Amino acid sequence: MSVAVELRHISKRFPGVLANKDVSMSVETGTVHALVGENGAGKSTVMKILYGMQRPDSGEILVNGRAVHFKNPNDAIDASIGMVHQHFMLADNFTVLENIILGSEPKKGVTIDFAAAREKIVAMAAQYGLEIDPDVLVEALGVGQRQRVEILKVLYRGARILIFDEPTAVLVPQEVDDLFNALEGLREQGMAIIFISHKLDEVLRVADDVTVVRQGSTVAEVKSKDVTARQLAELMVGSELPQPSTQGVTRRDLVALSLNDVSILTSTGGRDLISHISFNLHAGEVVGIAGVEGNGQAELVEAILGLRDYTGSISFNGSAIDHLSVAHRHDLGIGFIPEDRQRQGLMMNSPLWENRILGHQRSKPVMRGFILDKKATITDTARIMAEFDVRAPGPHTLATALSGGNQQKFIVGREISKAPALLVASHPTRGVDVGAQGAIWEELRRAREKGMAIVLISADLEELIGMSDRLLVMLRGAVTAELDPAKTTPEQLGSAMTGAA
Amino acid sequence: MKSKSLKALQYAALLIFVLSIIRILTGASDLTSVGTASAALLLSVPIALAGLGGLFSERSGVVNIGLEGMMIMGAWAGGMIGSKHGPWIGLFAAVCFGSVGALLHAIATITFGVDHVVSGVAINIIAAGLVRYISTIFYKSGAWLGPSQSPDVTSIGTNGIPVLSGGTYFGWKSPDVLSVLAEKHWFFISDTAAVIRGLTGDLSYVTMIAMAMIPLSVFILWKTAFGLRLRSAGEAPIAAESLGVNVYAMKYAGVLISGGLAGLGGGFLAIVAANHYQENQVAGRGYIGLAALLFGNYRPGGILMGAGLFGFADALQLRDSASIHALILLIVLILLFLVVRDFRKGKALKAALTLAFASLSLWYFLAVDELPGQLVTMTPYITTLLVMAVASQRLRMPAADGIPYRRGGMQ
Repeated sequence: MSVAVELRHISKRFPGVLANKDVSMSVETGTVHALVGENGAGKSTVMKILYGMQRPDSGEILVNGRAVHFKNPNDAIDASIGMVHQHFMLADNFTVLENIILGSEPKKGVTIDFAAAREKIVAMAAQYGLEIDPDVLVEALGVGQRQRVEILKVLYRGARILIFDEPTAVLVPQEVDDLFNALEGLREQGMAIIFISHKLDEVLRVADDVTVVRQGSTVAEVKSKDVTARQLAELMVGSELPQPSTQGVTRRDLVALSLNDVSILTSTGGRDLISHISFNLHAGEVVGIAGVEGNGQAELVEAILGLRDYTGSISFNGSAIDHLSVAHRHDLGIGFIPEDRQRQGLMMNSPLWENRILGHQRSKPVMRGFILDKKATITDTARIMAEFDVRAPGPHTLATALSGGNQQKFIVGREISKAPALLVASHPTRGVDVGAQGAIWEELRRAREKGMAIVLISADLEELIGMSDRLLVMLRGAVTAELDPAKTTPEQLGSAMTGAA
Repeated sequence: MKSKSLKALQYAALLIFVLSIIRILTGASDLTSVGTASAALLLSVPIALAGLGGLFSERSGVVNIGLEGMMIMGAWAGGMIGSKHGPWIGLFAAVCFGSVGALLHAIATITFGVDHVVSGVAINIIAAGLVRYISTIFYKSGAWLGPSQSPDVTSIGTNGIPVLSGGTYFGWKSPDVLSVLAEKHWFFISDTAAVIRGLTGDLSYVTMIAMAMIPLSVFILWKTAFGLRLRSAGEAPIAAESLGVNVYAMKYAGVLISGGLAGLGGGFLAIVAANHYQENQVAGRGYIGLAALLFGNYRPGGILMGAGLFGFADALQLRDSASIHALILLIVLILLFLVVRDFRKGKALKAALTLAFASLSLWYFLAVDELPGQLVTMTPYITTLLVMAVASQRLRMPAADGIPYRRGGMQ
């Protein structure tokens, strides 16, 4: 086997950030080489450099043993490098065929030779096991099929070195299996595949070699059969993995949140979305809500926040809040970490300091009387970024430019800064990397010690067990069990969630 | 594709059939006369050209409100240069001047990222002011008779389909079978003959060129690599860039072609539809072209239909207000058709509302003998509005239309 791509001592600096420092890796033909690291560790920058989207400040790139200098992606494509982007680069209103041939159309006279293109695509699809109808519009395709189109696009251009940027992030498990089968086929055809991911179990499943980057530098290159997921994770974060855990009892006497027979009826007369839920939550206590998704957890959150009508009664710090609006409840001191940060928690195309305002637009430091205090907001945004380790150039950075983990840390910082008496945390560490996960746990822990009451909803059972003082299991809208996390294993919790226990 | 054009032919035949019935019922003989069809075509051409111009621009992702201004530039150049150097050079100048306006729009929107609507409106205002300003200079120097009208342009020749609709070929005067048929006043047959005669006979060569632009646009946009790339710039510019398409070049091309077509439309107004440039000659046709573009769902065939509809209504109101009166009956029939359709689909409320409106229209038709003049003038606009309102359509604009694009957006 020969070396298809070699990176030697690549460094790249952006204004304010050192993205890559001395990155080296070498990828052999006929192998899948995984590049792993936390979000923000510099994986994407390495690949953008390899794909010609950015130029390194120093270092060398060798393709098939020859040094190359890419000015733009076209140069990389000419050197038979192809990139399957994480966010698909497809025109929805074009057919599969049009998307694939765009930019390198086969011609017959002045027209496009559609017949030849179709023939080539169908043959290629059959060869690599990526069957697809070339004449349907991309908008009609599911995510997995769109990814096929992306792969066919780069293969159509004759790529022999394929870069997959977090390809499984958007796929459901079945589609992941299909993708891995396709990767297997590509490897057998002698392609070199670079697989960027932070999902370690997947990496170990599919990759031959693994290169680990941490804080912009490569820290290890190992054979995947020689390591475990835990070892890889520790290489990624550079230390022992954080554990979700709390210490001692910080529970106070004050009942922060009290639900009394709360139900949400469906308009269609079907089963209640949530039915007859009652519990008390004390200050300094964390109650974990466990349940398979879609069993009423989201609706419960919406009821507490006032986003949905319900029957029964909810009181906060001793007084009923049923008649209060969402804004009023928020102002009383109910903080919220939403489960979908990009849709519910942030304005993606606005700078961070504007995002600081979101949900806090009636109080200091954002407002001074009736006037928006921009200066104070920016200062406070910078404070959140420093205190909660949000890695971004500054308060004027757009939210969309941050990695998921940093976005989430920003939201956690924003909500905790107000020191709410109650925090509703819905999947606070979903889709964030290990480092950010540890940081968020630490923040929740500290808030708990200060006496904050926390409703924690999560699909991560270890997180639930580790962080909660009490566990409520929801099934079909009702609380079916209350468990003591100290005496519960993830397996027991799992079977309680499915109603098996 | 084949079955599609067959369907279009069927619909056209059905329309003529309905119009024939109404003609018999009301005696409004102008509904399907040679003259109406011919005038409708003449009035449709500039709108179709503007719509096509909009098509190229918007397919490449640049909203072009400036079509109006580009048409004004074209009309003015057609009159000014055409009166001096002959009609063909005048037309060429019209295309060039339209493109100059488009170049301005392209530089502003593509290179400098100015909001497309702002730039377009600016061009409309600048164009109108600029041509008035220069016209005044010509007037003062004695070259023009007035500041709002250019000297006359010699006319461009016409021709028809040999045997069927007359015309002259190499000195041979062709017979005119369709006209003869149209004179017979046979139900439907004469109507069809008259409409075809009107659409194909005594055609200006410019009209022929303009009509050829429709299939040509389809060919360019959907059959060539250039067209695919141009459309990709309007659908997914970042994806296009990642595949090595020069998005800026595509957008410039789209906007410049747009201006050329709009300029041609303006030149047509000055040289073919009239025989000189006159102020306010364009009179909103750029905007109506945009409406035709939307009506036609960003497709050339649809644009032609939209332009034809407007042209037809406009021709009727110009020629014979009695026919407009008869047109109400057509509206009643269309509404009744919709009532049946909605009722079958189980939308009882909608059907009832439409029925009420149809009854109201019918009552108005019976109660009033002649429409007030103002209403007659409004007919083309009302018709366009009505059709756009009732035609159930799924508008699909290019996904990245109107969104400023920066190279390197993918990074």
